[in-house]
Amino acid sequence: MRLDIPRDVSLDGHVVDGVMGYLTLSTGIAFALLVLVLVVTLLFHRARRSRPHAHFTHGDGLSARLLTVAVALTLFLAIDVTLAVRATRNLRERFWNYPDGDPNALRVEVTARQWAWTFRTAGPDGRFATPDDVVTLGDLHVPVGRPVYLKLRSKDVVHSLYLPNFRTKIDAIPGSTTRLWFQAQDPGRFEIGCAQHCGVSHYKMRGWLIAAPEDAYRGWLARAETDSRLRYDPADVAAHEGWDWETGR
Amino acid sequence: MTAPDAPPHPAAPPQTPTPSPSPSPSWLGRVFSTDHKVIGKQFLFLGLAFLAVGGVMAMLIRWQLARPGQPVPLVGRLLFPGAGGVISPAAYTSLFTMHGTIMIFFAVTPILIGGFGNFCVPLLIGTRDMAFPRLNMLSFWTMAAATATLTASFFVPLGAAASGWTAYATLSTAIGAPGAGQTMWTVAIYFNGVSTVMGAINYITTVVRLRAPGMSWFRLPLTVWGFFLTSILNALFVPVIAAAMVLLFFDRIFGTQFFIAGSTIRAGGDPILYQHMFWLFGHPEVYILILPAWGIVSDLLSFFARKPAFGYRVTVWSLIGVVVLSCVVYGHHMFTTGMSPLLGESFMVLTMIISVPTSLLFLNWLGTLWRGAARMRTPMLFCVGLVFTFGIGGLTGLYLADIVADQYLHDTYFVVGHFHLIMAAALLLASFAAVYFWFPKMFGRMMSEGLGKLHFWPTFLALNVVFGGQLLIGWAGMQRRLYDPSAYEFLAHLLPWNVWISRAAYVLGAAQLVFVLNFFVSLRWGKPAPANPWEVGTLEWTLPSPPPHHNFDVIPTVVRGPHELGSPDALARGKDWLGQDEVLP
Repeated sequence: MRLDIPRDVSLDGHVVDGVMGYLTLSTGIAFALLVLVLVVTLLFHRARRSRPHAHFTHGDGLSARLLTVAVALTLFLAIDVTLAVRATRNLRERFWNYPDGDPNALRVEVTARQWAWTFRTAGPDGRFATPDDVVTLGDLHVPVGRPVYLKLRSKDVVHSLYLPNFRTKIDAIPGSTTRLWFQAQDPGRFEIGCAQHCGVSHYKMRGWLIAAPEDAYRGWLARAETDSRLRYDPADVAAHEGWDWETGR
Repeated sequence: MTAPDAPPHPAAPPQTPTPSPSPSPSWLGRVFSTDHKVIGKQFLFLGLAFLAVGGVMAMLIRWQLARPGQPVPLVGRLLFPGAGGVISPAAYTSLFTMHGTIMIFFAVTPILIGGFGNFCVPLLIGTRDMAFPRLNMLSFWTMAAATATLTASFFVPLGAAASGWTAYATLSTAIGAPGAGQTMWTVAIYFNGVSTVMGAINYITTVVRLRAPGMSWFRLPLTVWGFFLTSILNALFVPVIAAAMVLLFFDRIFGTQFFIAGSTIRAGGDPILYQHMFWLFGHPEVYILILPAWGIVSDLLSFFARKPAFGYRVTVWSLIGVVVLSCVVYGHHMFTTGMSPLLGESFMVLTMIISVPTSLLFLNWLGTLWRGAARMRTPMLFCVGLVFTFGIGGLTGLYLADIVADQYLHDTYFVVGHFHLIMAAALLLASFAAVYFWFPKMFGRMMSEGLGKLHFWPTFLALNVVFGGQLLIGWAGMQRRLYDPSAYEFLAHLLPWNVWISRAAYVLGAAQLVFVLNFFVSLRWGKPAPANPWEVGTLEWTLPSPPPHHNFDVIPTVVRGPHELGSPDALARGKDWLGQDEVLP
């Protein structure tokens, strides 16, 4: 019985693992103390002939109240406050620090539908919603070592793009544009899932993230651009799902 | 509350005992009873029946996760005749949707709030009935109508609702759920809400207006505090989900677009609006269900430890603190919707602050047990079991409150394990504790201790394996609501875990048969219950078991708190407890 957490291949995934590790340690200690008190009371503080009645206290004296409040505040400072401070810093510096000004970032428009993901990059002209867009179904090709910046929309119901090896997910919601960024550190094929129940075939809404070194990625991109140009069909309006990256139109 | 110990009524006039009127002799009068004790039992039986239905659904879900795509043994061909006994993906989505819906709205709510709320509140505060007995009856029959609607929805074309118990738009609109089942689900939840609000108004009024003379706020049993605070949350937030159901119904039937986005961005309605409305109710709902459980357990730990509830007032203020905070944390269910950073951080911090009153509550439970003289009777076992499982359930909530960790864990089985430890494990353990504890008062007979313990141990152990196992496979990344997790390569290695979780779930299900046996055998052949079998001081135990139709021949005058166990005054009289209305010479 193996229980493998997916291998972290992202720039920031170790932060998520670190938070979960800290939580397991700190809440583990708190829970161990709880169990210790439970075991002691249940083994020793039971009614028996030598213990006909309980120690009589309402626990409402000043010292009892101070003790409970002190323990509660200690737990709060050690676990909650520590977590909140770290989380706020990490969100601002990493997860919510979107690479808007980074010309190096790969920008991808994601369209979710029952039950597939479509990924669109801008093509040689650098603009979305133009005939040279590179569109893939189910496969997201990214270079290693560069930020990948996704904007997501949904055609029908709420979906959630889930990247277990990158320790992140973001919903795709009809009528809204959501965003997510991450960076692959290792090459490889990694599964993309849907995390939000989206109908009967929710479990089949999978995809692959293919992270390749920059050279290999550029080689793939060149072939894909040619393919896209050849396959572009101006009459197929339903396939023109792109939007202008900045204005959203 | 300037003088908390002053009696609510200035001076009670001396009373002559009033003999109890007889309940209505006709069967119509007994079925449409306005007696809170009868209505409480009606809610209890309804809830227990649906607990069984929801439980069978859980077994079917576990079968599919352990043996994906294989025919269900024994009942498969009966339940899924079209597919040769195999659960189809469509049937599976209906199963987990209706499992959640039934368990939350039609099992736990009727058992705890409708059942024990009705039975306990008037008896524990020393009054003859609820403030509005007919509204009380209407509350039950509205719930029954909601139940009938939900049950009927299994038999319409395209089957019962399948968009999850949360019914997120737009999956729950005509876009994702064209069948009548989802519409009937919407109607059933609406009427369930109407029933709940009727009950809430009744409980609030009853507790505020009808407490016996001397029953000041800080002499209330903590059970009553739990039901009272729950009713406040119900009265405030159930109307929000009822409103969401009305809008969803309009979207489905009349073609409105409250929750449906238009063809261009931000034209038309917004599916996110539904999530806000749902969770504005949905998060308080967790506390709506857990507050009565906390109240019951706080009382029972004291009763069976033979020791006053430790830090009673701190406990009460902690419960109130939880109620206030529960109104401002719902956003943590929506961290992955791309909410603004300011909102996200605020909801994260507010959620974490809830751990302060919750820790105080926990510490007071441990304080109650410490240096007690515990009697390990069946209700006590279930209460201690709750302290343990609620410990895990509460602490794992911190992982999900932290947005950084939630990015990974959101919508995985970690969430499923976390909320089942609270909503299933803790609530069931509290419900069973309440059944074993008040059964003698309800039905006049004792339940079997031996069968009770035989029920407790497999239930407790299996609960922890099932929901603890879910935490682990969620940690490994498995999403919720997957028909066949092995469709994913990174989840394929978790199949043996799912097999073992399912085996534990079958044990859990089988253990409940012991409870059913104990319940019905005791109902018929149990040892006749004395007035006060547990030797505690709250008012219901001053009455015969079962109590007469109007409860109290003389409305008692309360002179002390509910937990005077082991006090020197009592010990001087050769016992270790004092009744709340017991006047010492």
